[in-house]
Amino acid sequence: MSHRTGGWVGRPVPLKEDARLVAGRGRFIDDLGRARMLHAAMLRSPHAHARIVAIDTREAEALPGVFAVLTGAEAAARSGPIRPLIPTTAGIPDYCLAVDRARYVGEPVAAVAAVDRATAEDALERIRVQYEPLPVVVDPEAAIGPDAPLLYPELGTNVVWHDTLTYGPVDEAMARADGVLRERFTIQRYASTPLETFGGIAEYDPGTDVFEFWTNDQRPGLTISVLAASLGVPQSRVRLSCPDIGGAFGNKRRPAYLLICALLARKTGRPVKWIEDRIENLTALMHACNGIMDVELGYRADGTVLALAVRDIADEGKNLITPTQHNLIKLGNIANGYRIPAVRYEAWSVLTNKCPSGANRGIGKPFMCFAIERAMALLARRLGMDPAELRLRNYVTAAQMPYTTPPGAQYDSGDYPATLHRALERFGYTARRAEQARARKEGRLLGIGIATSVEPAGTNLASYEIITGRRSASGSAEAAMVRMEPDGQVRVSIGDPASGQGYETVIAQIVADELGLTPDAVTVTRGFDSTTTPWLYLSGNYSNKFSVTDVGAVVGAAARVHAKLLRIAAHRLEAAVADLEMGGGAVAVRGAPDRRLGFAELARTAYADVLGLPPGEEPGLEARHAHQNPLAQPMDTDRRVRSQLVFANAAHCCLVEVDRRTGLVKILKYVVVHDCGRELNPLIVEGMVHGATAHGIGAALLEEFRYDAQGQLLTSTFMDYLKPTSVDVPLIEVDRLEHPSPVTPLGAKGVGEGGAIPGPAAVANAVEDALAHLGVVVRALPITPEQVWRWLR
Amino acid sequence: MSAPSERVAVRFTVNGWPVEQVVEARRSLADFLREDLGLTGTHVGCEHGVCGACTVLVDGRSVRSCLLFAAQLEGRSVVTIEGLTPAEGLSPLQQAFRDCHAMQCGFCTPGMIATTTELLAREPAPSTENIRDAISGNLCMCTGYVNIVRAVEQAVAARAAGAGG
Amino acid sequence: MKPARFRYARAATLAEATALLAEAPGDTKILAGGQSLVPMLNMRLVRPAVLVDVNGLRELTGITPRPEGGLRIGALTRHAELVASPAVRERAPLLAEAARHVGHAAIRNQGTLGGSIAHADPAAELPAALVALDARLQATGPRGTRVLAAAEFFRGLLATALAPDEILTAIDVPAQPPGWGFAEIARRPGDFALAGVAAVVHAGHPLTPPSPPRGGEGTDSVRLVGFGVGDRPLRLTGAERLLAGTPLDLESAARAGVTAGLDCDPPSDVHGSADYRRHLAMVLTERALLQAHARLTAAPR
Repeated sequence: MSHRTGGWVGRPVPLKEDARLVAGRGRFIDDLGRARMLHAAMLRSPHAHARIVAIDTREAEALPGVFAVLTGAEAAARSGPIRPLIPTTAGIPDYCLAVDRARYVGEPVAAVAAVDRATAEDALERIRVQYEPLPVVVDPEAAIGPDAPLLYPELGTNVVWHDTLTYGPVDEAMARADGVLRERFTIQRYASTPLETFGGIAEYDPGTDVFEFWTNDQRPGLTISVLAASLGVPQSRVRLSCPDIGGAFGNKRRPAYLLICALLARKTGRPVKWIEDRIENLTALMHACNGIMDVELGYRADGTVLALAVRDIADEGKNLITPTQHNLIKLGNIANGYRIPAVRYEAWSVLTNKCPSGANRGIGKPFMCFAIERAMALLARRLGMDPAELRLRNYVTAAQMPYTTPPGAQYDSGDYPATLHRALERFGYTARRAEQARARKEGRLLGIGIATSVEPAGTNLASYEIITGRRSASGSAEAAMVRMEPDGQVRVSIGDPASGQGYETVIAQIVADELGLTPDAVTVTRGFDSTTTPWLYLSGNYSNKFSVTDVGAVVGAAARVHAKLLRIAAHRLEAAVADLEMGGGAVAVRGAPDRRLGFAELARTAYADVLGLPPGEEPGLEARHAHQNPLAQPMDTDRRVRSQLVFANAAHCCLVEVDRRTGLVKILKYVVVHDCGRELNPLIVEGMVHGATAHGIGAALLEEFRYDAQGQLLTSTFMDYLKPTSVDVPLIEVDRLEHPSPVTPLGAKGVGEGGAIPGPAAVANAVEDALAHLGVVVRALPITPEQVWRWLR
Repeated sequence: MSAPSERVAVRFTVNGWPVEQVVEARRSLADFLREDLGLTGTHVGCEHGVCGACTVLVDGRSVRSCLLFAAQLEGRSVVTIEGLTPAEGLSPLQQAFRDCHAMQCGFCTPGMIATTTELLAREPAPSTENIRDAISGNLCMCTGYVNIVRAVEQAVAARAAGAGG
Repeated sequence: MKPARFRYARAATLAEATALLAEAPGDTKILAGGQSLVPMLNMRLVRPAVLVDVNGLRELTGITPRPEGGLRIGALTRHAELVASPAVRERAPLLAEAARHVGHAAIRNQGTLGGSIAHADPAAELPAALVALDARLQATGPRGTRVLAAAEFFRGLLATALAPDEILTAIDVPAQPPGWGFAEIARRPGDFALAGVAAVVHAGHPLTPPSPPRGGEGTDSVRLVGFGVGDRPLRLTGAERLLAGTPLDLESAARAGVTAGLDCDPPSDVHGSADYRRHLAMVLTERALLQAHARLTAAPR
């Protein structure tokens, strides 16, 4: 635990990063270049499913300005398959380019390196590919069916995982329930689509036999491992660095593209850059799984939920790298803050001829929360109970913390009822209901929606054992380095590359507290560099882990530097460590301020005048520390596991008006009360809540990746894939409770995914509430004006 | 008149500096600014004019630099985020953005600054609704726009106070 | 997303521009505002051999009041200029309102009236407004200059009566009556309309029956034009006929709306089905007519 509390941590310190970003002085991947660099472009399949019969690249290669063309066959000969993050028992190799078949529209089939991007795209048009179209499957239920076209005939199925996990006496509880609510929900494909697209530069040095990468990949530890394995080189000869990243939200990870650049770099002898364009991003990078969920909620007449059974079909598109990821996360969060003693989860992870699925903000939790919160809203209506009242009846209470759910998630702290009460109060729930009634008399349709959710942080990779049957990666950990330079200034680096979360500022606040400095005296290295940043396989930006895991690494490293400074000072001041105090950039004897050594002086001893060190003390003032989240444990014999580790929570209340003539939905008021434990920097936290909630609103009302029956994506530009604008997102009012986590180094919980989880449910519940008099049930997203109009007819 | 050509001589100013170059006809202004002039503050987010990340000022008016060819800029004056940033410190608008934490990843920010610079030049005291409307052509995936609107409101108030005081 | 290669020429005069067009009419594109053209170039949906930049042609600029009433508007007039121009706001406020709905500021600063007309997106605001205003379009080519009625100009999806070697030069908008309305619905502000209606109602009660379109200015008493509801700006003639000889009020506006829905043949796409667009056309016709009614009632006699 930290030695220091108060001070800088907890204050809304203006962000250091913002000063450079607002001046356009960020350095993003497309701002970087290397001498003699070439630019790549990808040839992509126009078919959702087709055999690749032949590829003729001669005309493309002959185009002036083109330096290399790479096909799947060559890629398979010169590189190993991409190692899956979650290796299902399928065991099918997946190369960086399609080899014998293309399995989704937009799948890369060949790549060109040329003098500039325009020339590379000219070359793509000269590559002749002979395709033999195959039957296409886009519907996940059809993909499970017996006559489905198979993406991998050798697998004999499109289902890469199907299992049922039962925790507690579900059937018995359903049998003695006073009623069972059954409903089917579906969710669309959507994605956070960071404004900066994915990309990278690869360079090969034949002298040192080293591959070097620059990229906005958000999981460098994992990606280095994958690249090294595919290239057949030791990780010690792969270097990867990350500059500023323009948003990630889970989307920025596709080692295949970096591998393609590496192969082109090795082939041409020149660095190769590839930056995804927007159509490529929307078509082929990743979508959150669409899916279908059948929910059964067994309840007593007083509204107590007795059991929950879920059948979940996750449509992964063509994804052999991270299938079942959404399933696992849904399972881990299935109870959503409620005391549900018995739970069954039957799930499919199924392949279809669509864009690969990926870890979008929330990874499955938005859908899980949508299904549960919608079911609760319907149950309230069925029982004639107020929806807030029904939830209050079922929450895990503060007195019951820590509480372990049937699948093994441990809610560490929090007061879910108080959170909802505060949200209702801030929202003016009673007044809004009265307003709704008055409006109804005037013929206006207002609706109120409530949704609450737990918001986990930190993923324990041991949970993958549920899928794979064995443990390979596990736990949640991060590494950091704190170094006091020879001049007494401090530099910190961490294995998690930021993409807008303000790490440079928060880390400076933490270290400033640890060492009695101001944040200005602490420089946090931008991004990531594998040769100098400490890192693990588990390093990276995912699952909200910064506040719950990364900070432990920072605190630990800073604490070591703190201790060493005291030891050196004690030796030089001939005092006991216990008699010393640190502050103002110096160490002094308590009560004798003239017996004082500034950091610059202590650093001089540590780095230059090393004979002045205490006996046995190592020169230098640098410490590395890796922190492991102690809550992570392996799966137990009943297949229970903490797949996510620390739990924040929130309540969303939303007031909408539905235009009864056009079906347009306008959000009039939106209140979020959240509890992420100790807020390390309230400015950052509030921004995260705003942004994540906007993602939820987008998913509820606007965003959808739509495919036709042939697997063609109909929404492949920002003209058709609709992101929320400043007119679509209302003022989001935020209030907070603060129940520190007892299990994290600073008491903080995760805050990045937050609003994206209950947001869709809150808006959906509000629209349904506006149309309740018509008996409308919202079962799918997005809620388009046309859909509303159909309900109103 | 010269015959149509794939390479075009063009002369214009960028941030007050003269630029004279022969460019490929199809080179966008965005790519020219970023790669030929090294002014990487202007970002590319969609290349079809929707996201607004590439917004710059041409003769004082906001435009999408991804929808202009460098060759078209003959005789015009372009101002990018680099030209909207003073030599020392930040402009009042930028300071307001910083004070209000009106960015997270920063990728949309230069385009937002260009758009809101034009707004404040055209309207002395835009209402909150006007502000929301004015920036509705600039997508932000991080902030949910709340702090961006606050920042512009703060800049408006600061300007009014400065002018009135 | 980089365009295919093309050759570029900057036209210094209208004659130069038409000469360049004439060299390879099917393979040459006019670059005016570029807000519709350049995305298509970037996506390689079009790949002309030559781009003629007409942005330097002063003779295509300017908003000039006409002695007989109305305005002459140069084809190169930017949407932003239409929104801001006192002359347009006074003499053709429907046009200013339509222009206000186009995209966002950056798009309006660049996009031109001529470009919008020549591009002829059926969901675009300005072509519909010009049909409602019974505007005349002036085009110049190797065969000289001719005038086309806006009502006959739009031939289908992205198709117009303009020959491949012609350039639009000016738009003549007759004096606009005080009764007008404009209503559109889009998924988000600035998006292409799901549906929209531009209405122009000439003063005088009861309304005289509309004459069939045959040229001349201001012959029809009611002009209702839908956009986004067909493959071109669509005269909602059934609704117009229904209003003939009927005072314009809440009830007749509603009935006209219902009829307008039947006049439409909207497309279905990812943003809306034909049925839904038909419904919106009904709602928007009513709204536009009620706006016109309010303006007529308020207008000085």
